[in-house]
Amino acid sequence: MRIPILKLHDYLLISVQVELDDQTALQFQEDVLGKIHEEGSRGVVIDLTSVEMIDSFIAKVLGDVVDMSNLMGAKVVLTGIQPAVAITLIDMGIVLDEVPTALDLEQGLERLQLELEG
Amino acid sequence: MKPFIRDIILEHKIEIMEEWQKEINKFRTDDSLQNITDTMYENTNREFVNKLILTVQTEGGGDHDELIQFAERLIQLGWPLNYITRGLQEFRKITIETLSETSDNYCKSIEFFQEIEDWIDGIVNLLVNQYSGSWENTVFLQKMALKELSAPLIPVFDNISVMPLIGTIDTERAKLIMENLLDGVIEHRSQVVLIDITGVPVVDTMVAHHIIQASEAVRLVGAKCILVGIRPEIAQTIVNLGIDLGKFPTKSTLKKGIESALELTKRQIVEIEQ
Repeated sequence: MRIPILKLHDYLLISVQVELDDQTALQFQEDVLGKIHEEGSRGVVIDLTSVEMIDSFIAKVLGDVVDMSNLMGAKVVLTGIQPAVAITLIDMGIVLDEVPTALDLEQGLERLQLELEG
Repeated sequence: MKPFIRDIILEHKIEIMEEWQKEINKFRTDDSLQNITDTMYENTNREFVNKLILTVQTEGGGDHDELIQFAERLIQLGWPLNYITRGLQEFRKITIETLSETSDNYCKSIEFFQEIEDWIDGIVNLLVNQYSGSWENTVFLQKMALKELSAPLIPVFDNISVMPLIGTIDTERAKLIMENLLDGVIEHRSQVVLIDITGVPVVDTMVAHHIIQASEAVRLVGAKCILVGIRPEIAQTIVNLGIDLGKFPTKSTLKKGIESALELTKRQIVEIEQ
């Protein structure tokens, strides 16, 4: 199962529509980095609106994706994290400290623009 | 109850009732009964003793509907449980006295005693259950009301919401606060949420921990959290306890919080020139 990655001008849009398991997550990490390299994107929005569960491993992978993309010169914004998911993450002590977040795709793009300008 | 005991009780019904009313009038001076009028008191007494006698007549044990209705009315009118228990105690005493005076058959008196004990105990259980049931109900309703009041999220401007917290925060309430906060952020599409702790009397490590967790969760769903209403004594406790609130913005008053929230959403309040 691979997660589709869409290109929009300088940005990559990724809407995760399936429940992430470990394998999918690692594949996803590889795909995103490959795509950034291929397209020379400056920003990535990962939308998690339809994700209802994130375990510690997935959270770590997501955090890694953000760090790795930053290294490759692309800012990443996570959007649409559900309240229940946020509570689980906090309860597990995962705070995704340095990761920018936004309410939905629209605000995520604005946020990204802001990050790139600033 | 054995038929012959019942017959004896019914035979001496009038005597018992009169004696009981005399006794119960002695409680009249009790504090909790002060604001009840004399006629009301007498009427209730009469009804009570009638209902008690009725439970002897309608033997079978199971059918106490009338007594339950009577108790429900007393509960609604706010009569104290005290009145009922003392009334029943007196009733038992008088019944036994009356019967032991009249009964010539001495060897049956223990049996009498036990039968009457059983009968009265049944009634006591029934009435106390009624009362405690009504109390539990009241406590439950108040708890619900308190819960509804405990964590409202108010949208004040587009994309800005305020959650005023009043009273102490325990773990259960903190959970509720977190849920309301996150659901409200999604519902109102808020970019900035102000948590106002002006009304929180004590901020200890646990409360601070809950607030930090809530604000981190808010950040994850994609909004910013500003803590406002920090009174001097709260600032002192926070620093003395060594709690690190450095990671998220704090303001002294709600007013300042709103100003910086507007700033974050690229707006400001301007005065209009007339």
